[in-house]
Amino acid sequence: MTDREIIELIDKSIAEEFELDEAHMKPEALLFIDLELDSLDIVDLVVVLENAFQFKIREEDSIQEIRTLGDIHRFVINKKKELNKQ
Amino acid sequence: MAWPQSIRTKRPVNFLLIPLMNLTALPLMLLWTAVGIFLFPALFFILKTTTRWDAEQITRRLIWVYGRGWLAIMLPFIRFELIGIKQDKIKPPCIYVANHLSFFDIYCLAFLPTFNVSIAIRNWPFKMYWYAPFMHMAGYINVENKKWEEIFEPAARVLSNGGALLFFPEGHRSRNGELQRFYSGAFKLAVETGAKIVPLCIKGTNEVLPPGRWWLSPAKVTIKALEPVNPKSLADSSSHRLIRKTVKNMMRQSLAEMALDPAGNTDVAGSECSL
Repeated sequence: MTDREIIELIDKSIAEEFELDEAHMKPEALLFIDLELDSLDIVDLVVVLENAFQFKIREEDSIQEIRTLGDIHRFVINKKKELNKQ
Repeated sequence: MAWPQSIRTKRPVNFLLIPLMNLTALPLMLLWTAVGIFLFPALFFILKTTTRWDAEQITRRLIWVYGRGWLAIMLPFIRFELIGIKQDKIKPPCIYVANHLSFFDIYCLAFLPTFNVSIAIRNWPFKMYWYAPFMHMAGYINVENKKWEEIFEPAARVLSNGGALLFFPEGHRSRNGELQRFYSGAFKLAVETGAKIVPLCIKGTNEVLPPGRWWLSPAKVTIKALEPVNPKSLADSSSHRLIRKTVKNMMRQSLAEMALDPAGNTDVAGSECSL
């Protein structure tokens, strides 16, 4: 899976789950402000990403630092690379 | 200033009713609000000393009466239709979830056959200083920017005391009349408490008072209660996402059916309302 495909899958999964307009799915979009997610949505977001990529991320400390959609892209891409190395 | 199309084309008499409504109903509503605020302390004291209701229940009952007064003022100008609003079907404890079209929605909920409802809403209504003290006394829950635990504790207490909660899962009034995305709070609460969800579909309040407009228009308002959804009846009773999607699909389908009835025909289960 290329980085581009990962990003597209992330955007598609999040847009579908939270019924967001794909035009708003920009890397600089802030999750709480631009995408209007709330704290419960973040829990759902983790489930959505885990289902889409078939790995566990809820115990990762670095998810606490995610603020934007671009942060999610980078997090998942790095996680995939990490898993591929193992 | 353009008249709403449905009024312009279907009910020409409303050219007279609109000014009449705004010249009579608006002042009456302000007067009713002032009277309510003035009488509240005395009524609260009387009920507190003569009943076993706690402060929240007394305030909710008085708010319900206030809401009924609002509706009585509106009755000459708005044709209300209630569908499926039956005591046995929507009896608390339960969680009402309603679509949100107008500030007026909240007053329409005085049609519910129970007064014991706590409303879970965003912060801005708590900024209306003339309502805020009563909202706090009634135990309404401010859900904006709160941690889940801060919402869950008072909400679960309402349900365990036999009350109901009302959520507008869209979070905002719809600007185009379409159902918006649903937030998860009401559905997570249903999963964690086992309380049933009662979907309420509202149609027409955005013709009475749409977001951004300050004058009223006559219209037909329909409120329809759908079949309650018990979290335990779903395939995955632990998934608030599944319940959220199930309820939203039910409401979307029902609102689409209601939209096919622009002439205001009442279906078999419907009833015109009187207070």
